[in-house]
Amino acid sequence: MSTLLLLPRNAVVAFLVAYRRIISPLYGDVCRYHPSCSAYALQSVQLHGVLVGSWWTARRLLRCHPWATGGIDDVRPRRRFRYLITPAGFVVAGHQKG
Amino acid sequence: MDIFSIILWPLKWVVELLLVGWHWLLSAAGMDPASGLTWVLSIVGLVIVVRAALIPLFVKQIKNQRRMMEVAPRLKKVQDKYRGKRDQLSQEAMRRETMAIYSETGTNPMASCLPLLVQMPIFFSLFQVLNAAQAGKAGVGPLNSQLAEQFGNAALFGGFAPLHTSFQKAMEATPPQVGVMIVAAVMVVLMTASQFITQLQIMSKNMSEEAKASPMFKQQRIMLYILPFIFLFSGFAFPLGVMFYWLTSNIWTMVQQFIVIRNMPTPGSEAAKKREERLARKGKLVVDEGTAQETVVVVEKQQRQQPMSKSRAKKSGTKPNSGGNSSERK
Repeated sequence: MSTLLLLPRNAVVAFLVAYRRIISPLYGDVCRYHPSCSAYALQSVQLHGVLVGSWWTARRLLRCHPWATGGIDDVRPRRRFRYLITPAGFVVAGHQKG
Repeated sequence: MDIFSIILWPLKWVVELLLVGWHWLLSAAGMDPASGLTWVLSIVGLVIVVRAALIPLFVKQIKNQRRMMEVAPRLKKVQDKYRGKRDQLSQEAMRRETMAIYSETGTNPMASCLPLLVQMPIFFSLFQVLNAAQAGKAGVGPLNSQLAEQFGNAALFGGFAPLHTSFQKAMEATPPQVGVMIVAAVMVVLMTASQFITQLQIMSKNMSEEAKASPMFKQQRIMLYILPFIFLFSGFAFPLGVMFYWLTSNIWTMVQQFIVIRNMPTPGSEAAKKREERLARKGKLVVDEGTAQETVVVVEKQQRQQPMSKSRAKKSGTKPNSGGNSSERK
């Protein structure tokens, strides 16, 4: 059941991981923030899901322009995160704590 | 309509407007409205407008980059702290500290994601516009079905390479269109080569020692050699029109980079050293380059230059500008 629920999230994660592997290196380090916009997108989708994660990502992307100061800008942590994140970045149902 | 096309809709509209605008202009200037050259030049016009609009972003980035010298000592400290630590956690901590220095001092040299964010959807939009035009379908705005059909069918080289075809389509056609395949293959190679050369220029000449020491640089180097292959393969599915956009865009980047590398190199990069040498050889600064502030900096550097053995030069590394005059206006 949770696999099905996590399907959209993991689809976006797969896309973002591929993007970070293939397209990102083309432009090198350009982001004015840490984590970079794509890392931010990946984390926020992993933690918050497609809808909320996309919202945060869109706002971050709009912040990343040459006139911004930049700097450290972490993804909003999730207080109770029910899932586990695999080393590859995918989100799976966790067994540790409910 | 899915969410993707809703986001792209306004961009497609603008892309079409620019294309149709240039096409109208060129036709009014006496070119054949249906010829491939007219439409290719319209694509070139589109690139010019897009890239010219991005120049302010670029200039801002260059200005940001030049202020890097001010924080070089602090950056070096962070690098020394993490020297030899290649594990992910240290690297992440190092990036974090570097970023903190940038934002603290307001000297962030990064380009930001905006230029990318603008160009990628334009590229996709053009792709979609061309794909629709190929079917003779009208666009979302100024490109009506008549113009769309004309665009898709506009052909180059005596009429046998229409802009909507790709290598793949020419290959799958019965009988295979060998001529079109050759044109498409040449375009793919040109596109890949221009991308590779630009990237190589930036990486070999216009990167500071600090940037070259970062793990990101290694990854970038690997990708530098892998990417051409990815392009070679994916390029076969791109319509000729899209490839013209890409090629023109690459050429623009190349020229822009050349000017920047020559006249405004990243401090501490090889290109910067070359420029100093060049200026020293001439004895003085050429008037047309940069502002008066810059003149002061360069002259000062010139005076300090002493005969130095290669090993000593290496050891001393990148020196920060001592004078307060090096700071750009804020």
